[in-house]
Amino acid sequence: MFLKLASKSLLNRKGSVILTIMAMTVSIFVLLGVEHIRSQTKASFNNTISGVDLIVGARTGSLNLLLYSVFRIGSPTNNINWKTYQAIAENPKVAWTIPISLGDSHKGYRVMGTTSDYFTYFSYGAKRQLNFIAGKPFKEIFDVVVGAEVAAALNYSLGDKVVLAHGLGQTSFSMHDDKPFTIVGILAPTGTPVDQVVHVSLRGIEAIHIGWQGGVKIPSKKIANEQLSVQDLQPKNITAVMLGLNSKMATFNVQRDINTYPKEPLTAILPGVALAELWQMMGLLENTLRLISSLVLTAALFGLCAMMLASIKERNHEIHLLRVIGASPSFVFFLIELETFLISLVSIFIAVLSLYLTIFFVGDDLAANFGLQISANFFSNNNISLLVLLIISAAMIAAAIPSFFAYKNAKSSH
Amino acid sequence: MAIQLTNVRFSYPESPARTVLAIDNWQVTKQEQVFVHGPSGGGKSTLLNMLSGIITPDSGDIKVFDTSLSRLNNRQRDRFRANHIGYIFQQFNLIPYLDAIDNVQLAHRFSKQTQTAIIEEITTLLANFAIKPIDWHKPVAQLSIGQQQRIAIVRAMINKPELLIADEPTSSLDHKNRDNFMTELMTMVAEYKTTLLFVSHDMSLASHFNRIDALADINNADCSK
Repeated sequence: MFLKLASKSLLNRKGSVILTIMAMTVSIFVLLGVEHIRSQTKASFNNTISGVDLIVGARTGSLNLLLYSVFRIGSPTNNINWKTYQAIAENPKVAWTIPISLGDSHKGYRVMGTTSDYFTYFSYGAKRQLNFIAGKPFKEIFDVVVGAEVAAALNYSLGDKVVLAHGLGQTSFSMHDDKPFTIVGILAPTGTPVDQVVHVSLRGIEAIHIGWQGGVKIPSKKIANEQLSVQDLQPKNITAVMLGLNSKMATFNVQRDINTYPKEPLTAILPGVALAELWQMMGLLENTLRLISSLVLTAALFGLCAMMLASIKERNHEIHLLRVIGASPSFVFFLIELETFLISLVSIFIAVLSLYLTIFFVGDDLAANFGLQISANFFSNNNISLLVLLIISAAMIAAAIPSFFAYKNAKSSH
Repeated sequence: MAIQLTNVRFSYPESPARTVLAIDNWQVTKQEQVFVHGPSGGGKSTLLNMLSGIITPDSGDIKVFDTSLSRLNNRQRDRFRANHIGYIFQQFNLIPYLDAIDNVQLAHRFSKQTQTAIIEEITTLLANFAIKPIDWHKPVAQLSIGQQQRIAIVRAMINKPELLIADEPTSSLDHKNRDNFMTELMTMVAEYKTTLLFVSHDMSLASHFNRIDALADINNADCSK
């Protein structure tokens, strides 16, 4: 009966109630949407790399090293000498290494030189390994493995020939067009920067740079592909190394050894720590978004409060009547609270539904255009459930003002 | 005794110096039907609100069916009102967006009585008061004033109150509806052996009653100021 009274009373004031619900819905949509995208971004961010204990590069800041080695953003300050790499790899505490060499690109996608160990040891998310949707790891010098996004965007399939460009520009004029590569593998989508990378062997990187000096092609030094020998293709330096250790306990030990390596200035970072540092820098943006969405909700709550308050003035007779048939002033108080609760419940329902539909319909576009993998299952995020509770309680608190007016009205009803 | 007022004084908190109601001694016996008349602004609503326990006097004692209202706490007074007192106003007797049955049922909810066959009883009463079944499930705002006032009687009587207070219930009705209303009300009251306190300024209704009091005679407070 209580519920019937509240819902029929709301239905009786359809116009203002619907407008209030719309305002609430929009603000809840924004609030939940921001929180969901934030947590999804953070998750996919933290999922970019796992299982790697240390990343080693030339002496630089930890963020810079993380950005260019994992996210392929920015440029390395310097390279690591191959001999240094070998010294690190021979350390008994080191289980495996993934050397990487950056600097070239293919149609705007970065090219990464590495070894086939990359496909064995590199993992992302919850220790998930790289999988091939087609083909296999590179084996020959001019074999190439492309990330899922590269293959999809450039419409590549196995056997296609690709030409790498020198440097990182999307429209480079120096092409390694004398040495085309053949696609032998396409990786499954990971939702990490791996999707946007063209992987070749370190020897391949060396091979295309033979006959180059100072970033320029010297035609006289050109060598035919058949003349390439293993010796020639021994890399002289690489950009960075990812390390897996035999024991996690040794991480700080090895890190210190590398940081104090006497023959070359190096930096070793723990990817998890650097990721956390990087995310902290985004914290300001994150908090700004949260602040704005909570202000939007506050505005909607004020609207709700004003609407309910105006209705109290119209409902003096009704309140008096309820009193006369035996309702206590607290009954009137809780009636107004219940009406608010119903309004927020309906608003949350509509907001969640539209958010779900939005993600469902534009999720693919988001992934394609922004690299954002947004799952539609947002109640798996505890924050969202918590936020819903928070919204309801905020609405109930806001409704306490009109409810209290109604209570006072009921108390001194005459 | 149905109603007993002793040395009751009341003034509104907004203007404490101005006494609205000063009744030294006034009684209504059980099953009596009293017609109280007086000009508007003479403290009528104040008296009725006080009898129903919505407001409490500054001093003095009000007994309704030998229960001293000032001895009850707020919750008990609300419950007492729901159980023992029925109330009919000039207008706004019903929640406009609820239908006739819900309105009557709501009044029943606030009393302690539990009746499983309440819907049946409500529909019988509504039928007795010439409310057609097709009108039972319409929001009462869509019904005529005459129908609404008749539903108001059902609403007021559903808990079989010992005391029925009617505050100008006929002022919004036309002549024909008013006569019908009075006949139905008096029949109902007689049948349920209810004490009736009927307040109006319309002296032509006085003929239905055997006791007629002027509020000015009861209330010693000078309300003309």
